[in-house]
Amino acid sequence: MAAQILAILIFIGMFLIIILNKFERHIVTLSSAALVLILVFGLCMHSFRAIWSTLNLQVFITPTFWYGESSGNTTGINWSTILFIAGMMIMVEGLGKVGFFRWLCLTLAKSVRYHVVPLLICFMALSAGLSMFIDSITVVLFLSIVTIELGRELNFSPVPMILSEIFCANLGGAATMCGDPPNIIIGTSLGYTFSDFIKNTGLIVAVCLVLTVIYFWLCFRKGLKKSEDSRSGATEYSKPISAITDIRAFLAGTAVFLTAVALLSTHAQTGLSVALIGVIVASLTLLSSLIFSGKGRVKEIVANLDYKTLLFFIGLFISVSGLEESGVLTLIANFITRASGGSLTMIVVIILWLSAVASAFIDNIPFAATMVPVIRSIASAQGISLPILAWALSLGTDIGGNGTPIGASANVVGTSVSAKHGHPISWGEFCRYCIPATILVVLVSMLCMFVLYL
Amino acid sequence: MKSQIIVTVGREHGSAGHEIARMIAEQLQIRLYDRQFVENSDEISGYSMETACKADEKPVNPFLSRRIGDFSNSIEENVAEKTFEFLRRKADSGDSFVVVGRCADYILRDNPNVIRIFITSEYHEKILRIMETNQVSDSKAADIIRKTDRQRKAYHNYYCDTKWGDSRRYDLLVNSSKLGISGTVAALLYYIRIFMAK
Repeated sequence: MAAQILAILIFIGMFLIIILNKFERHIVTLSSAALVLILVFGLCMHSFRAIWSTLNLQVFITPTFWYGESSGNTTGINWSTILFIAGMMIMVEGLGKVGFFRWLCLTLAKSVRYHVVPLLICFMALSAGLSMFIDSITVVLFLSIVTIELGRELNFSPVPMILSEIFCANLGGAATMCGDPPNIIIGTSLGYTFSDFIKNTGLIVAVCLVLTVIYFWLCFRKGLKKSEDSRSGATEYSKPISAITDIRAFLAGTAVFLTAVALLSTHAQTGLSVALIGVIVASLTLLSSLIFSGKGRVKEIVANLDYKTLLFFIGLFISVSGLEESGVLTLIANFITRASGGSLTMIVVIILWLSAVASAFIDNIPFAATMVPVIRSIASAQGISLPILAWALSLGTDIGGNGTPIGASANVVGTSVSAKHGHPISWGEFCRYCIPATILVVLVSMLCMFVLYL
Repeated sequence: MKSQIIVTVGREHGSAGHEIARMIAEQLQIRLYDRQFVENSDEISGYSMETACKADEKPVNPFLSRRIGDFSNSIEENVAEKTFEFLRRKADSGDSFVVVGRCADYILRDNPNVIRIFITSEYHEKILRIMETNQVSDSKAADIIRKTDRQRKAYHNYYCDTKWGDSRRYDLLVNSSKLGISGTVAALLYYIRIFMAK
């Protein structure tokens, strides 16, 4: 009992301090992790086993961690997530340095002859497509910068386009296992593959994406068309080629990205784990950077690795283990089961909407990390299909984050970039367009789940 | 003799800190950076006057904002960061100026030509001043003072490792009631000129 109370207090404290934003969040989760290890596992539970299983270091010498069919990461630090995210971060850093994202955006703009409304649709599709493989923060960062630049050249307000891009990035991230951190956590924790996600959440996201594009097109087409009509005189457009800093490095970076897509799409068939894919992708990026751009570029990429986010994840996994090992998450699972009356439909509805509403206000990464053991517990206690609950959790956390400017990291980055360039996006403006879209998409996802699984 | 002088003026609401800062700038014939300047300057924010007015020197609401690395969705935080960047740029370029509030005491702490002043005043004088300038009752004036000082404190303490109004973090902490506005300005100018001559 004491361990449970302490674990809850530490977890709530961690959440509150993250919200107050006074300390960097990796410091908060690591401090919380230290408290869990010492106070909950050490002093209250006297369990060295809990500490060892939470640190989870033995996975590195487990063959299935690298290759072959894995049943997922049962508890503690999810090292697959850490290695995969680190690998993708290195790849994305390399791609950014050679101008890949800017080139892609400018090529698309050129392909629609710089007409603003088609550009809106193209950038929404690009945002969703890229976010299926690359973290949505990076996608939104590059897209919003290019959107602002094009807005200046083509005389339109970038805000509608940035809002649409943010929404589609979060939506696209829900389609695959590697699209959004919650999905990486869900996939690696429960042993699901890229194709498992594509066949389930991917299918539902495809339906939602069509609706989303129509929704934002209806919302913004008139304003954008008007600004295009008021465009005067000949305009100098940025040329896609100007984005490429070094053509050989660019081609090598693109090849690494395509390799990553191929490895992820086929990892169920090849047996390569996402942890190994992360290592391969990082190695290829560093190798190609060394060959084509020299040692300096490699150092630059490694130095820019966002180690704070990786530490944040490590601290978070340990803090969640405190709740799991002390039995708190089982209590939550039992509560959800009781509230649903044991009905699978009700459980899906509760998980989907609870995740969506919670993710609109709190960071969806800790939420997903907390809910994975909860849905595992519900599935085993009730004898119901775990994958269905996992898809509900994935869709809820990823899509729900669209509801407010603080719901997902991509929203913060998109609105911040916009504000830094003199186009502040207030809560009111964000919510006016994104809340209806979020409700619509969650509703459609729920209906799709009913049709597909229930 | 110093070629640059920067005077940062922190102040309690109603203490006449802004008026004192304005008079110092006038006497030294240097620029004054205050609320009016931030709101009107494209160089600082690039925002509309309405947005800048709402966000300038306002605290961040922790429940409505989130920060990811260098990015924050808070308009208040973005305006603050642009203001800080502007002040650093001006200080680095060798300009002399007086700046009212905006964490300048902390932001420019490493510049050797900075004098950091904090102005306070007797409570009843603050009430009288706000009653007169805002044409409000004494209870309303007390509310305005409490609310504004709370906001200034939250704003300062969010961005700075130092505490707002903590005497250890300023070079001079002055009660403007003792000498009146012009007396306080004269005393501060005396101090500033000695510092400049060093």
